[in-house]
Amino acid sequence: MIVAGNTLRESVRDKVLYVLLLFAATSILGSKALGWISVGQDIKIVRDFCLASMSVFGALISIFIGASLLYKEMDKKTLYTILSQPLRRHEFVLGKYAGLMALIAVTLAAMAVSSGAYLLVLGSAPDVSFLQAVLLTFMKLALVTALAVLLSAATSPILGALIVFSAYVFGHATGVLRDLPPHFDGTFAKGLLEAAYYVIPNLSNFSIQSEAANGVAVAWAYVGWAVLYGALYTAALLAVACLAFERKDL
Amino acid sequence: MPMDAVTTAGLSKTYHQLGRGAVHSVRDLDLVVGGNEIYGFLGRNGAGKTTTIKMLCGLVQPTAGEARLFGKPARDPAARAALGYLPEQPYFYEYLTPRETVRFYGRLRGMDDGAIAALWDRAADLLDLGGVADRRIRGFSKGMRQRVGFAVALVGDPPLLVLDEPMSGLDPLGRRMVRELIVRLRKEEGKTIFFSSHVLGDVEEICDRVGILVDGRLVFSGGMDDLPGRDMKRTELRVAGLSRADAADLAARAAGHAAGDGGDTFTAADGDAANALAAEALRRGGRLLEFRRAQESLEDVFTRMQHAETTGGARP
Repeated sequence: MIVAGNTLRESVRDKVLYVLLLFAATSILGSKALGWISVGQDIKIVRDFCLASMSVFGALISIFIGASLLYKEMDKKTLYTILSQPLRRHEFVLGKYAGLMALIAVTLAAMAVSSGAYLLVLGSAPDVSFLQAVLLTFMKLALVTALAVLLSAATSPILGALIVFSAYVFGHATGVLRDLPPHFDGTFAKGLLEAAYYVIPNLSNFSIQSEAANGVAVAWAYVGWAVLYGALYTAALLAVACLAFERKDL
Repeated sequence: MPMDAVTTAGLSKTYHQLGRGAVHSVRDLDLVVGGNEIYGFLGRNGAGKTTTIKMLCGLVQPTAGEARLFGKPARDPAARAALGYLPEQPYFYEYLTPRETVRFYGRLRGMDDGAIAALWDRAADLLDLGGVADRRIRGFSKGMRQRVGFAVALVGDPPLLVLDEPMSGLDPLGRRMVRELIVRLRKEEGKTIFFSSHVLGDVEEICDRVGILVDGRLVFSGGMDDLPGRDMKRTELRVAGLSRADAADLAARAAGHAAGDGGDTFTAADGDAANALAAEALRRGGRLLEFRRAQESLEDVFTRMQHAETTGGARP
Protein backbone atom coordinates (compact mmCIF):
# COMPACT_ATOMS: atom_id res chain seq x y z
CA MET A 1 0.00 0.00 0.00
CA ILE A 2 2.79 2.39 0.91
CA VAL A 3 4.73 1.64 -2.28
CA ALA A 4 1.49 1.97 -4.27
CA GLY A 5 0.65 5.31 -2.66
CA ASN A 6 4.10 6.62 -3.38
CA THR A 7 3.96 5.46 -7.01
CA LEU A 8 0.68 7.34 -7.42
CA ARG A 9 2.19 10.43 -5.84
CA GLU A 10 5.24 10.21 -8.12
CA SER A 11 3.01 10.04 -11.20
CA VAL A 12 0.82 12.90 -10.01
CA ARG A 13 3.94 15.05 -9.56
CA ASP A 14 5.18 14.01 -12.99
CA LYS A 15 4.38 16.62 -15.67
CA VAL A 16 4.09 13.97 -18.40
CA LEU A 17 0.76 12.90 -16.95
CA TYR A 18 -0.71 16.38 -17.35
CA VAL A 19 0.44 16.56 -20.93
CA LEU A 20 -1.31 13.25 -21.65
CA LEU A 21 -4.47 14.39 -19.88
CA LEU A 22 -4.46 17.63 -21.86
CA PHE A 23 -4.23 15.67 -25.10
CA ALA A 24 -7.07 13.42 -23.94
CA ALA A 25 -9.28 16.39 -23.07
CA THR A 26 -8.49 18.07 -26.41
CA SER A 27 -9.30 14.95 -28.39
CA ILE A 28 -12.62 14.41 -26.53
CA LEU A 29 -13.66 17.99 -27.19
CA GLY A 30 -12.36 17.74 -30.75
CA SER A 31 -14.61 14.74 -31.40
CA LYS A 32 -17.48 17.18 -31.97
CA ALA A 33 -15.67 18.38 -35.06
CA LEU A 34 -15.86 14.86 -36.51
CA GLY A 35 -19.55 14.81 -35.63
CA TRP A 36 -20.14 17.89 -37.82
CA ILE A 37 -18.89 16.10 -40.89
CA SER A 38 -20.98 13.00 -40.12
CA VAL A 39 -24.51 14.24 -40.60
CA GLY A 40 -26.98 12.76 -38.09
CA GLN A 41 -24.26 10.61 -36.49
CA ASP A 42 -22.65 13.19 -34.24
CA ILE A 43 -23.63 11.63 -30.87
CA LYS A 44 -22.49 8.19 -32.01
CA ILE A 45 -19.19 9.62 -33.24
CA VAL A 46 -18.64 11.51 -29.99
CA ARG A 47 -19.36 8.39 -27.88
CA ASP A 48 -17.08 6.31 -30.07
CA PHE A 49 -14.33 8.90 -29.95
CA CYS A 50 -14.56 9.38 -26.18
CA LEU A 51 -14.21 5.63 -25.57
CA ALA A 52 -11.36 5.36 -28.07
CA SER A 53 -9.57 8.26 -26.34
CA MET A 54 -9.87 6.52 -22.96
CA SER A 55 -8.44 3.34 -24.42
CA VAL A 56 -5.57 4.99 -26.30
CA PHE A 57 -4.52 7.51 -23.64
CA GLY A 58 -4.87 4.89 -20.90
CA ALA A 59 -2.64 2.62 -22.97
CA LEU A 60 -0.09 5.40 -23.45
CA ILE A 61 0.12 5.94 -19.67
CA SER A 62 0.36 2.19 -19.17
CA ILE A 63 3.09 1.75 -21.79
CA PHE A 64 5.22 4.81 -21.07
CA ILE A 65 5.07 4.77 -17.29
CA GLY A 66 4.70 0.98 -16.89
CA ALA A 67 7.61 0.04 -19.14
CA SER A 68 10.02 2.06 -17.02
CA LEU A 69 8.40 1.41 -13.65
CA LEU A 70 10.95 -1.04 -12.19
CA TYR A 71 13.80 -0.21 -14.57
CA LYS A 72 13.82 3.40 -13.41
CA GLU A 73 14.10 2.29 -9.78
CA MET A 74 17.05 0.08 -10.67
CA ASP A 75 18.67 2.65 -12.91
CA LYS A 76 18.32 5.49 -10.41
CA LYS A 77 19.33 3.15 -7.57
CA THR A 78 16.42 4.19 -5.39
CA LEU A 79 15.86 0.47 -4.94
CA TYR A 80 18.97 0.05 -2.78
CA THR A 81 17.49 1.73 0.24
CA ILE A 82 14.00 0.35 -0.36
CA LEU A 83 14.85 -3.33 -0.79
CA SER A 84 17.27 -3.25 2.15
CA GLN A 85 14.19 -2.60 4.31
CA PRO A 86 12.29 -5.56 5.79
CA LEU A 87 10.21 -5.79 2.62
CA ARG A 88 9.70 -8.72 0.27
CA ARG A 89 10.51 -8.08 -3.35
CA HIS A 90 7.15 -9.26 -4.63
CA GLU A 91 5.48 -6.78 -2.26
CA PHE A 92 7.45 -4.04 -3.96
CA VAL A 93 6.55 -5.21 -7.49
CA LEU A 94 2.87 -5.54 -6.63
CA GLY A 95 2.92 -2.20 -4.82
CA LYS A 96 4.36 -0.44 -7.87
CA TYR A 97 1.77 -2.13 -10.07
CA ALA A 98 -1.09 -1.21 -7.74
CA GLY A 99 0.10 2.42 -7.66
CA LEU A 100 0.14 2.65 -11.44
CA MET A 101 -3.26 0.97 -11.70
CA ALA A 102 -4.63 3.47 -9.17
CA LEU A 103 -3.34 6.24 -11.41
CA ILE A 104 -4.93 4.66 -14.49
CA ALA A 105 -8.21 4.17 -12.59
CA VAL A 106 -8.26 7.83 -11.55
CA THR A 107 -7.36 8.99 -15.07
CA LEU A 108 -9.99 6.73 -16.65
CA ALA A 109 -12.62 7.87 -14.15
CA ALA A 110 -11.78 11.52 -14.87
CA MET A 111 -12.04 10.94 -18.62
CA ALA A 112 -15.30 8.95 -18.21
CA VAL A 113 -16.89 11.66 -16.05
CA SER A 114 -15.84 14.45 -18.40
CA SER A 115 -17.01 12.44 -21.44
CA GLY A 116 -20.34 11.76 -19.70
CA ALA A 117 -20.76 15.45 -18.89
CA TYR A 118 -19.93 16.37 -22.48
CA LEU A 119 -22.50 13.86 -23.77
CA LEU A 120 -25.11 15.36 -21.43
CA VAL A 121 -24.37 18.81 -22.83
CA LEU A 122 -24.88 17.40 -26.33
CA GLY A 123 -28.25 15.97 -25.31
CA SER A 124 -27.26 12.34 -24.80
CA ALA A 125 -26.57 10.45 -21.58
CA PRO A 126 -23.97 7.80 -20.70
CA ASP A 127 -25.85 4.51 -20.28
CA VAL A 128 -25.06 0.95 -19.18
CA SER A 129 -23.29 0.15 -22.44
CA PHE A 130 -20.99 3.14 -21.89
CA LEU A 131 -20.12 1.92 -18.36
CA GLN A 132 -19.52 -1.61 -19.63
CA ALA A 133 -17.11 -0.28 -22.22
CA VAL A 134 -15.23 1.77 -19.59
CA LEU A 135 -15.02 -1.26 -17.26
CA LEU A 136 -13.58 -3.49 -19.97
CA THR A 137 -11.17 -0.77 -21.05
CA PHE A 138 -9.91 -0.72 -17.47
CA MET A 139 -9.46 -4.51 -17.51
CA LYS A 140 -7.57 -4.29 -20.78
CA LEU A 141 -5.28 -1.64 -19.32
CA ALA A 142 -4.75 -3.78 -16.20
CA LEU A 143 -3.49 -6.57 -18.45
CA VAL A 144 -1.34 -4.31 -20.63
CA THR A 145 0.17 -2.66 -17.53
CA ALA A 146 1.04 -6.07 -16.05
CA LEU A 147 2.92 -6.90 -19.26
CA ALA A 148 4.69 -3.52 -19.12
CA VAL A 149 5.72 -4.10 -15.49
CA LEU A 150 7.04 -7.57 -16.33
CA LEU A 151 9.15 -6.14 -19.14
CA SER A 152 10.37 -3.27 -16.99
CA ALA A 153 11.95 -5.86 -14.67
CA ALA A 154 13.77 -7.51 -17.54
CA THR A 155 14.60 -4.98 -20.23
CA SER A 156 15.14 -1.31 -21.06
CA PRO A 157 12.17 1.06 -21.17
CA ILE A 158 12.45 1.65 -24.93
CA LEU A 159 12.53 -2.03 -25.82
CA GLY A 160 9.85 -2.77 -23.23
CA ALA A 161 7.60 -0.03 -24.57
CA LEU A 162 8.06 -1.31 -28.14
CA ILE A 163 7.16 -4.86 -27.12
CA VAL A 164 4.10 -3.73 -25.14
CA PHE A 165 3.02 -1.48 -28.00
CA SER A 166 3.36 -4.41 -30.44
CA ALA A 167 1.42 -6.66 -28.08
CA TYR A 168 -1.25 -3.95 -27.82
CA VAL A 169 -1.57 -3.66 -31.59
CA PHE A 170 -1.44 -7.41 -32.30
CA GLY A 171 -3.61 -8.07 -29.27
CA HIS A 172 -6.46 -6.29 -31.04
CA ALA A 173 -6.04 -8.44 -34.12
CA THR A 174 -4.98 -11.87 -32.87
CA GLY A 175 -7.46 -13.53 -35.26
CA VAL A 176 -5.21 -12.53 -38.15
CA LEU A 177 -2.40 -14.63 -36.68
CA ARG A 178 -4.46 -17.82 -36.97
CA ASP A 179 -6.48 -17.18 -40.06
CA LEU A 180 -3.66 -17.25 -42.58
CA PRO A 181 -4.25 -18.13 -46.25
CA PRO A 182 -4.10 -21.91 -47.01
CA HIS A 183 -0.72 -21.77 -48.74
CA PHE A 184 0.86 -21.12 -45.30
CA ASP A 185 -0.29 -24.55 -44.06
CA GLY A 186 2.58 -26.63 -42.68
CA THR A 187 5.13 -23.81 -42.80
CA PHE A 188 7.27 -22.65 -39.89
CA ALA A 189 5.67 -19.20 -40.09
CA LYS A 190 2.25 -20.74 -39.61
CA GLY A 191 3.40 -22.60 -36.46
CA LEU A 192 5.11 -19.49 -35.11
CA LEU A 193 2.12 -17.23 -35.67
CA GLU A 194 -0.25 -19.81 -34.24
CA ALA A 195 1.95 -20.03 -31.14
CA ALA A 196 1.84 -16.22 -30.94
CA TYR A 197 -1.95 -16.41 -31.19
CA TYR A 198 -2.11 -18.46 -28.01
CA VAL A 199 0.51 -16.40 -26.12
CA ILE A 200 -0.56 -12.86 -27.02
CA PRO A 201 -3.63 -11.85 -25.02
CA ASN A 202 -6.69 -11.30 -27.16
CA LEU A 203 -7.47 -7.67 -26.40
CA SER A 204 -10.42 -7.58 -28.77
CA ASN A 205 -12.29 -9.48 -26.03
CA PHE A 206 -12.39 -6.14 -24.20
CA SER A 207 -13.49 -4.07 -27.18
CA ILE A 208 -17.21 -3.40 -27.00
CA GLN A 209 -16.72 0.14 -28.16
CA SER A 210 -18.85 -0.06 -31.30
CA GLU A 211 -21.75 -1.57 -29.31
CA ALA A 212 -21.43 1.19 -26.71
CA ALA A 213 -21.27 3.86 -29.43
CA ASN A 214 -24.65 2.64 -30.63
CA GLY A 215 -25.96 2.40 -27.07
CA VAL A 216 -26.34 -1.39 -27.21
CA ALA A 217 -25.39 -3.13 -23.94
CA VAL A 218 -23.73 -6.55 -24.13
CA ALA A 219 -24.75 -9.41 -21.82
CA TRP A 220 -23.30 -9.11 -18.30
CA ALA A 221 -22.21 -12.74 -18.62
CA TYR A 222 -19.90 -11.68 -21.45
CA VAL A 223 -18.56 -8.79 -19.35
CA GLY A 224 -17.96 -11.20 -16.45
CA TRP A 225 -16.15 -13.63 -18.71
CA ALA A 226 -13.95 -10.86 -20.16
CA VAL A 227 -13.14 -9.59 -16.65
CA LEU A 228 -12.15 -13.12 -15.58
CA TYR A 229 -10.03 -13.57 -18.72
CA GLY A 230 -8.25 -10.28 -18.02
CA ALA A 231 -7.78 -11.01 -14.33
CA LEU A 232 -6.24 -14.44 -14.98
CA TYR A 233 -3.88 -13.11 -17.65
CA THR A 234 -2.91 -10.19 -15.41
CA ALA A 235 -2.26 -12.49 -12.44
CA ALA A 236 -0.09 -14.77 -14.58
CA LEU A 237 1.96 -11.84 -15.94
CA LEU A 238 2.43 -10.37 -12.45
CA ALA A 239 3.51 -13.76 -11.08
CA VAL A 240 6.21 -13.97 -13.79
CA ALA A 241 7.24 -10.36 -13.05
CA CYS A 242 7.65 -11.19 -9.34
CA LEU A 243 9.67 -14.31 -10.14
CA ALA A 244 11.92 -12.39 -12.55
CA PHE A 245 12.56 -9.75 -9.91
CA GLU A 246 12.99 -12.09 -6.96
CA ARG A 247 16.59 -13.12 -7.53
CA LYS A 248 17.76 -10.17 -9.55
CA ASP A 249 21.12 -8.73 -8.48
CA LEU A 250 20.95 -4.99 -7.97
CA MET B 1 28.44 -10.44 25.61
CA PRO B 2 26.45 -8.95 22.71
CA MET B 3 25.51 -11.22 19.84
CA ASP B 4 27.65 -11.02 16.70
CA ALA B 5 26.04 -8.48 14.39
CA VAL B 6 27.43 -9.83 11.12
CA THR B 7 28.73 -13.28 10.30
CA THR B 8 29.61 -14.61 6.90
CA ALA B 9 30.77 -18.12 6.06
CA GLY B 10 32.34 -18.93 2.71
CA LEU B 11 30.51 -15.97 1.19
CA SER B 12 31.29 -15.76 -2.52
CA LYS B 13 29.99 -13.95 -5.55
CA THR B 14 30.94 -14.70 -9.12
CA TYR B 15 29.62 -12.72 -12.05
CA HIS B 16 29.57 -14.23 -15.51
CA GLN B 17 30.18 -11.55 -18.08
CA LEU B 18 30.07 -11.91 -21.81
CA GLY B 19 33.63 -11.80 -23.16
CA ARG B 20 35.26 -11.70 -19.72
CA GLY B 21 34.18 -15.09 -18.43
CA ALA B 22 33.78 -15.55 -14.69
CA VAL B 23 34.69 -12.59 -12.50
CA HIS B 24 35.17 -13.52 -8.86
CA SER B 25 34.06 -10.43 -7.02
CA VAL B 26 34.11 -11.93 -3.51
CA ARG B 27 35.84 -15.19 -2.62
CA ASP B 28 35.19 -17.41 0.36
CA LEU B 29 34.70 -14.59 2.84
CA ASP B 30 34.59 -15.55 6.52
CA LEU B 31 33.87 -12.49 8.61
CA VAL B 32 32.65 -11.81 12.12
CA VAL B 33 31.65 -8.35 13.32
CA GLY B 34 30.80 -8.25 16.99
CA GLY B 35 28.00 -6.28 18.59
CA ASN B 36 28.64 -2.62 19.50
CA GLU B 37 31.75 -2.50 17.37
CA ILE B 38 32.99 -0.07 14.74
CA TYR B 39 34.41 -2.16 11.93
CA GLY B 40 36.22 -0.65 8.97
CA PHE B 41 36.12 -2.54 5.70
CA LEU B 42 39.05 -1.61 3.48
CA GLY B 43 40.08 -2.38 -0.04
CA ARG B 44 40.87 -0.73 -3.34
CA ASN B 45 38.22 0.03 -5.95
CA GLY B 46 36.90 -3.26 -7.30
CA ALA B 47 38.16 -5.28 -4.32
CA GLY B 48 34.63 -6.51 -3.59
CA LYS B 49 33.59 -4.22 -0.71
CA THR B 50 30.35 -2.98 -2.24
CA THR B 51 29.39 -6.46 -3.45
CA THR B 52 29.93 -7.81 0.08
CA ILE B 53 27.83 -5.00 1.52
CA LYS B 54 25.07 -5.63 -1.04
CA MET B 55 25.03 -9.30 -0.07
CA LEU B 56 24.66 -8.29 3.59
CA CYS B 57 21.72 -6.09 2.61
CA GLY B 58 19.98 -8.75 0.50
CA LEU B 59 20.46 -6.82 -2.75
CA VAL B 60 22.81 -9.35 -4.35
CA GLN B 61 22.48 -13.12 -4.09
CA PRO B 62 25.65 -14.98 -3.07
CA THR B 63 26.96 -17.61 -5.47
CA ALA B 64 28.06 -19.65 -2.46
CA GLY B 65 28.15 -19.36 1.32
CA GLU B 66 25.87 -17.24 3.42
CA ALA B 67 25.64 -14.01 5.37
CA ARG B 68 23.79 -13.61 8.66
CA LEU B 69 22.71 -10.53 10.57
CA PHE B 70 22.29 -11.20 14.29
CA GLY B 71 22.02 -14.90 13.46
CA LYS B 72 19.31 -14.58 10.81
CA PRO B 73 19.98 -15.14 7.09
CA ALA B 74 20.47 -11.77 5.37
CA ARG B 75 18.03 -12.85 2.64
CA ASP B 76 15.26 -13.02 5.24
CA PRO B 77 13.39 -9.68 5.40
CA ALA B 78 13.11 -10.13 9.19
CA ALA B 79 16.92 -9.94 9.42
CA ARG B 80 16.87 -6.60 7.63
CA ALA B 81 14.67 -5.10 10.35
CA ALA B 82 17.92 -4.91 12.34
CA LEU B 83 19.78 -3.20 9.51
CA GLY B 84 20.16 0.41 8.45
CA TYR B 85 21.95 0.82 5.12
CA LEU B 86 23.59 3.85 3.56
CA PRO B 87 24.66 3.23 -0.07
CA GLU B 88 27.77 4.84 -1.50
CA GLN B 89 25.65 7.26 -3.54
CA PRO B 90 22.33 7.46 -1.73
CA TYR B 91 19.47 8.01 -4.19
CA PHE B 92 15.99 8.93 -3.09
CA TYR B 93 12.83 10.01 -4.81
CA GLU B 94 13.68 13.51 -5.99
CA TYR B 95 10.10 14.71 -5.77
CA LEU B 96 9.98 14.03 -2.01
CA THR B 97 11.27 16.26 0.76
CA PRO B 98 13.57 14.87 3.50
CA ARG B 99 10.63 14.78 5.92
CA GLU B 100 8.47 12.90 3.38
CA THR B 101 11.37 10.55 2.63
CA VAL B 102 11.78 9.61 6.29
CA ARG B 103 8.00 9.16 6.55
CA PHE B 104 8.00 6.88 3.49
CA TYR B 105 10.72 4.63 4.92
CA GLY B 106 9.12 4.71 8.38
CA ARG B 107 5.84 3.50 6.90
CA LEU B 108 7.67 0.76 4.99
CA ARG B 109 8.81 -0.45 8.40
CA GLY B 110 5.27 -0.29 9.76
CA MET B 111 5.86 2.71 12.04
CA ASP B 112 2.89 4.84 13.08
CA ASP B 113 2.69 8.60 12.55
CA GLY B 114 3.72 9.41 16.14
CA ALA B 115 6.84 7.25 15.96
CA ILE B 116 7.72 8.70 12.56
CA ALA B 117 7.36 12.27 13.86
CA ALA B 118 9.61 11.46 16.84
CA LEU B 119 12.13 9.80 14.52
CA TRP B 120 12.16 12.84 12.24
CA ASP B 121 12.74 15.20 15.17
CA ARG B 122 15.67 13.12 16.34
CA ALA B 123 17.19 12.72 12.85
CA ALA B 124 16.72 16.41 12.04
CA ASP B 125 18.48 17.33 15.27
CA LEU B 126 21.29 14.80 14.87
CA LEU B 127 21.92 15.62 11.20
CA ASP B 128 20.93 19.28 11.15
CA LEU B 129 18.18 18.71 8.58
CA GLY B 130 15.58 21.01 10.11
CA GLY B 131 16.28 23.87 7.68
CA VAL B 132 15.61 21.74 4.59
CA ALA B 133 12.83 19.55 6.02
CA ASP B 134 10.28 20.59 3.41
CA ARG B 135 12.48 21.25 0.39
CA ARG B 136 12.43 18.68 -2.40
CA ILE B 137 15.58 16.54 -2.59
CA ARG B 138 16.03 17.47 -6.26
CA GLY B 139 18.91 19.94 -6.24
CA PHE B 140 20.45 18.78 -2.95
CA SER B 141 24.25 18.66 -2.75
CA LYS B 142 26.14 15.42 -2.14
CA GLY B 143 26.61 16.34 1.50
CA MET B 144 22.91 17.03 2.02
CA ARG B 145 21.94 13.78 0.31
CA GLN B 146 24.37 11.97 2.59
CA ARG B 147 22.60 13.47 5.60
CA VAL B 148 19.22 12.35 4.29
CA GLY B 149 20.79 8.94 3.68
CA PHE B 150 21.90 8.79 7.29
CA ALA B 151 18.42 9.76 8.45
CA VAL B 152 16.96 6.92 6.36
CA ALA B 153 19.54 4.47 7.75
CA LEU B 154 18.37 5.39 11.24
CA VAL B 155 14.70 4.68 10.47
CA GLY B 156 13.43 1.94 12.76
CA ASP B 157 16.35 2.40 15.15
CA PRO B 158 18.28 -0.60 13.77
CA PRO B 159 21.10 -1.94 15.95
CA LEU B 160 23.36 -2.43 12.90
CA LEU B 161 24.37 0.28 10.44
CA VAL B 162 26.08 -0.74 7.21
CA LEU B 163 27.60 2.28 5.50
CA ASP B 164 29.21 2.10 2.07
CA GLU B 165 31.89 4.80 1.75
CA PRO B 166 30.05 7.24 4.03
CA MET B 167 32.82 9.83 3.76
CA SER B 168 33.46 9.76 0.02
CA GLY B 169 32.86 13.03 -1.77
CA LEU B 170 32.39 15.00 1.43
CA ASP B 171 34.32 18.10 2.39
CA PRO B 172 36.46 18.04 5.56
CA LEU B 173 33.57 19.35 7.69
CA GLY B 174 31.23 16.74 6.27
CA ARG B 175 33.75 13.97 6.95
CA ARG B 176 34.17 15.17 10.47
CA MET B 177 30.40 15.19 10.96
CA VAL B 178 30.19 11.58 9.76
CA ARG B 179 33.10 10.50 11.98
CA GLU B 180 31.57 12.09 15.05
CA LEU B 181 28.17 10.66 14.24
CA ILE B 182 29.54 7.13 13.93
CA VAL B 183 31.33 7.38 17.26
CA ARG B 184 28.28 8.92 18.93
CA LEU B 185 25.86 6.30 17.61
CA ARG B 186 28.08 3.53 18.93
CA LYS B 187 28.70 5.17 22.27
CA GLU B 188 25.27 6.57 23.07
CA GLU B 189 23.02 4.08 21.31
CA GLY B 190 25.08 0.92 21.38
CA LYS B 191 24.96 0.47 17.63
CA THR B 192 27.28 -1.69 15.58
CA ILE B 193 28.73 0.15 12.62
CA PHE B 194 30.21 -1.65 9.64
CA PHE B 195 31.55 0.73 7.04
CA SER B 196 33.78 0.72 4.02
CA SER B 197 36.11 3.60 3.34
CA HIS B 198 39.03 4.83 1.30
CA VAL B 199 39.90 7.45 3.89
CA LEU B 200 42.35 5.43 5.93
CA GLY B 201 43.07 8.20 8.40
CA ASP B 202 39.40 8.27 9.40
CA VAL B 203 39.28 4.50 9.69
CA GLU B 204 42.36 4.49 11.88
CA GLU B 205 40.86 7.13 14.12
CA ILE B 206 37.50 5.57 14.87
CA CYS B 207 37.57 1.82 14.17
CA ASP B 208 37.93 -0.93 16.74
CA ARG B 209 38.75 -3.46 14.08
CA VAL B 210 39.38 -3.51 10.36
CA GLY B 211 39.11 -6.00 7.53
CA ILE B 212 41.26 -5.71 4.44
CA LEU B 213 39.95 -7.09 1.18
CA VAL B 214 42.27 -7.71 -1.76
CA ASP B 215 40.81 -9.04 -5.03
CA GLY B 216 37.75 -10.35 -3.23
CA ARG B 217 39.69 -12.18 -0.50
CA LEU B 218 39.88 -11.09 3.12
CA VAL B 219 43.59 -10.91 3.86
CA PHE B 220 43.25 -9.47 7.33
CA SER B 221 40.57 -9.01 9.97
CA GLY B 222 41.40 -7.84 13.46
CA GLY B 223 42.22 -4.97 15.79
CA MET B 224 44.46 -2.08 14.83
CA ASP B 225 47.25 -3.36 17.04
CA ASP B 226 47.03 -6.79 15.43
CA LEU B 227 47.89 -5.45 11.99
CA PRO B 228 51.00 -7.31 10.83
CA GLY B 229 54.13 -5.24 11.30
CA ARG B 230 52.27 -2.57 13.23
CA ASP B 231 54.17 -3.47 16.41
CA MET B 232 57.44 -2.57 14.72
CA LYS B 233 57.87 0.68 16.52
CA ARG B 234 60.85 2.79 15.59
CA THR B 235 62.37 6.09 16.67
CA GLU B 236 63.02 9.04 14.43
CA LEU B 237 65.35 11.97 15.15
CA ARG B 238 65.78 15.11 13.12
CA VAL B 239 69.11 16.90 13.33
CA ALA B 240 70.30 20.19 11.84
CA GLY B 241 73.79 21.64 11.44
CA LEU B 242 75.63 18.47 10.40
CA SER B 243 78.22 18.53 7.67
CA ARG B 244 77.53 16.30 4.65
CA ALA B 245 80.32 13.94 5.72
CA ASP B 246 79.03 13.68 9.30
CA ALA B 247 75.48 13.10 8.06
CA ALA B 248 76.72 10.30 5.79
CA ASP B 249 78.68 8.77 8.63
CA LEU B 250 75.62 8.78 10.94
CA ALA B 251 73.40 7.48 8.13
CA ALA B 252 75.65 4.44 7.89
CA ARG B 253 74.90 3.64 11.55
CA ALA B 254 71.12 4.32 11.30
CA ALA B 255 68.29 2.09 10.03
CA GLY B 256 67.17 4.84 7.68
CA HIS B 257 68.10 8.33 6.58
CA ALA B 258 66.44 11.15 4.69
CA ALA B 259 67.93 14.56 4.00
CA GLY B 260 65.63 17.56 3.71
CA ASP B 261 65.49 21.34 4.03
CA GLY B 262 64.69 21.01 7.71
CA GLY B 263 67.74 18.87 8.45
CA ASP B 264 68.59 15.17 8.34
CA THR B 265 66.08 12.64 9.61
CA PHE B 266 67.55 9.39 10.95
CA THR B 267 65.54 6.32 11.84
CA ALA B 268 66.70 3.98 14.60
CA ALA B 269 65.42 0.48 15.12
CA ASP B 270 65.09 0.89 18.90
CA GLY B 271 65.51 3.41 21.71
CA ASP B 272 69.13 2.53 22.57
CA ALA B 273 70.29 2.93 19.01
CA ALA B 274 68.42 6.26 18.85
CA ASN B 275 70.13 7.51 22.02
CA ALA B 276 73.55 6.57 20.64
CA LEU B 277 72.77 8.33 17.33
CA ALA B 278 71.59 11.47 19.17
CA ALA B 279 74.74 11.58 21.35
CA GLU B 280 76.99 11.20 18.32
CA ALA B 281 75.12 13.92 16.40
CA LEU B 282 75.46 16.35 19.30
CA ARG B 283 79.17 15.50 19.70
CA ARG B 284 79.68 16.43 16.03
CA GLY B 285 78.04 19.83 16.53
CA GLY B 286 74.56 18.99 15.34
CA ARG B 287 71.39 20.47 16.85
CA LEU B 288 68.63 17.98 17.82
CA LEU B 289 65.31 19.33 16.46
CA GLU B 290 63.02 16.37 17.01
CA PHE B 291 63.11 13.01 18.74
CA ARG B 292 59.96 10.85 18.47
CA ARG B 293 58.61 7.34 18.58
CA ALA B 294 56.90 6.50 15.29
CA GLN B 295 54.42 3.76 14.42
CA GLU B 296 53.54 2.47 10.97
CA SER B 297 50.28 4.08 9.86
CA LEU B 298 47.28 2.10 8.67
CA GLU B 299 48.00 3.48 5.22
CA ASP B 300 51.54 2.08 5.35
CA VAL B 301 50.27 -1.33 6.44
CA PHE B 302 47.45 -1.30 3.88
CA THR B 303 49.81 -0.38 1.07
CA ARG B 304 52.30 -3.04 2.11
CA MET B 305 49.65 -5.76 2.38
CA GLN B 306 48.09 -4.75 -0.90
CA HIS B 307 51.49 -4.86 -2.59
CA ALA B 308 52.37 -8.24 -1.05
CA GLU B 309 49.07 -9.76 -2.22
CA THR B 310 49.11 -8.42 -5.74
CA THR B 311 52.77 -9.28 -6.35
CA GLY B 312 52.36 -12.71 -4.77
CA GLY B 313 54.66 -11.86 -1.87
CA ALA B 314 54.54 -13.45 1.55
CA ARG B 315 51.19 -13.19 3.22
CA PRO B 316 50.98 -12.05 6.80
